[in-house]
Amino acid sequence: MSASSETAEQYWSWTKPEITSLNKPFWDGLRRRELLIQRCKKCGEYQWYARANCIHCGSRELEWVKSSGKGKIYSYTIINMVVGNSPIFNKELPYAVALVELDEGPRMYAMMTDCYLSDVKIDAPVEVVFKDVAPDLTIPMFRPVKSQE
Amino acid sequence: MKGRVAVVGYGETPYDRARVERGQPRLTAEEYASWAMDLALKSAGLSKSDFDGQGLGVAGTIYPHAEIWSAEVAQNLGITPKMIIRADQGGAAAAALLTQGALAINAGIVDMFLCIVADAPLSIPTASASGARTWRYENDYMLPFGMMGPNSIFAFIMRRHMHQYGTKREHTGKIAITQRYHASMNPVAYLKAPMTMDEYLSSRVIADPIHLLDCCISVNGGLAFILASKEKAKEITDKPVYLLGFGECNNYTHGSKNRPDVTYLGIVKAAPDAYKMAGIKPQDASFVEIYDDYTIAVLMQLEDLGFCKKGEGGKFVEQTDISINGQLPVNTHGGQLSAGQAGIGGGCSHIVEAVRQLREEAGQRQVKDPKIGIVTAIGGLAYGVNLVHNVVMVFGREV
Repeated sequence: MSASSETAEQYWSWTKPEITSLNKPFWDGLRRRELLIQRCKKCGEYQWYARANCIHCGSRELEWVKSSGKGKIYSYTIINMVVGNSPIFNKELPYAVALVELDEGPRMYAMMTDCYLSDVKIDAPVEVVFKDVAPDLTIPMFRPVKSQE
Repeated sequence: MKGRVAVVGYGETPYDRARVERGQPRLTAEEYASWAMDLALKSAGLSKSDFDGQGLGVAGTIYPHAEIWSAEVAQNLGITPKMIIRADQGGAAAAALLTQGALAINAGIVDMFLCIVADAPLSIPTASASGARTWRYENDYMLPFGMMGPNSIFAFIMRRHMHQYGTKREHTGKIAITQRYHASMNPVAYLKAPMTMDEYLSSRVIADPIHLLDCCISVNGGLAFILASKEKAKEITDKPVYLLGFGECNNYTHGSKNRPDVTYLGIVKAAPDAYKMAGIKPQDASFVEIYDDYTIAVLMQLEDLGFCKKGEGGKFVEQTDISINGQLPVNTHGGQLSAGQAGIGGGCSHIVEAVRQLREEAGQRQVKDPKIGIVTAIGGLAYGVNLVHNVVMVFGREV
């Protein structure tokens, strides 16, 4: 991959989202160690990712609410090769990305952390962890919930 | 609408990966569009000027990444169409042009539609994101979360199918191997060397459980097809291929919007509509051309099309000869897995191949005595689900 049009610093930096009026509350929340998702004021349903209206009932009356950060793994993949993303992820290979079913309902793609790859299983209970991946960027990741026994 | 519109010509250029050091050409999408049009016009015995005052269908491209693209294509080709439609349905773009063009013909607005689907994703000057297809939700909510585009999304779907139904890599392997066998008889295919199960199973892991040989191969190329009203079709050719039926479903979720079962595609809704219009059952098909960005997509669609129950796709593939010699020939051209995915044009190869088979112009890989062919298209990877666009088309030699 050529880095001709970008600086080495940009090339080796974590992929950044575009912060917009729509999603700013989510990204600001992560800086405060809060995982925010949208809830519809009209029908009460939750949704992720950020939309301008409720995908369930269509209402534009949405609020950002704090998720419990708990859920379980619906499906997962072990990434072995970087394709179409920042080369910085080469440093992480191999790593797991899970599709986490939050207790509130929506599913969220997120990297698994603080565990063995073999701990990543369908239906495994997980909880959110906040990782500062750049000076101005915090990303939610998940880790298995340790058994109480 | 059954049989009111027919395909009367088609074109498909050879595929390559712009590897100049290996003697491959490095062409632009404009050159592929022109080449594909020329092949389609020759196939139909028509000239470019026949399309002045008619319809032109243009699919967007991965590269160049132009917002106003159909205007450019019309100017480049030198056609003065009455009507232009442009498709941005990703893998289902060619199918969208076909159904929309057919609707315009059926409405009597035009008699003919020339549809061009050409792309040159391998000719992007650098591998930077400048020419890449971008979705806002992928940029904002997937890439920063460690996702790797379609490979990773299909890994979640495949994992789930394996978990729910016991599907094995040997099942998807049979699809990859059979399609490679078909590609070995397709002059324009990019990958023609025979594939063994061992090679399939041990191919490089990309996003587990997706391995390299589960993925389509990206190529440059151009495709085109020509639609005509039933009446016009009979003037143009003695081998019209009729559109007997189609069904579409977009943004489908099987179950709740937040927690759908990702092993079902919208094909499960589109197929019954297509069969109803055509007046057929899936078992009436002489062959099926199934959109194949990944092996598991083919297996899931065999279920959604009704060839077997949901979850039994693995067993069905195991017990069925899906080669051109078998009970249900699948992807007789080798599909995108082996012939190649020409960017947005990849899904057009399935339409072109169905027409070619029904006209008995498929050479060495010709299916015997074909009467009806089913073609699917899926496109637009969704967040947390599978594919947004789903199209099923039924083609036949007789109305």
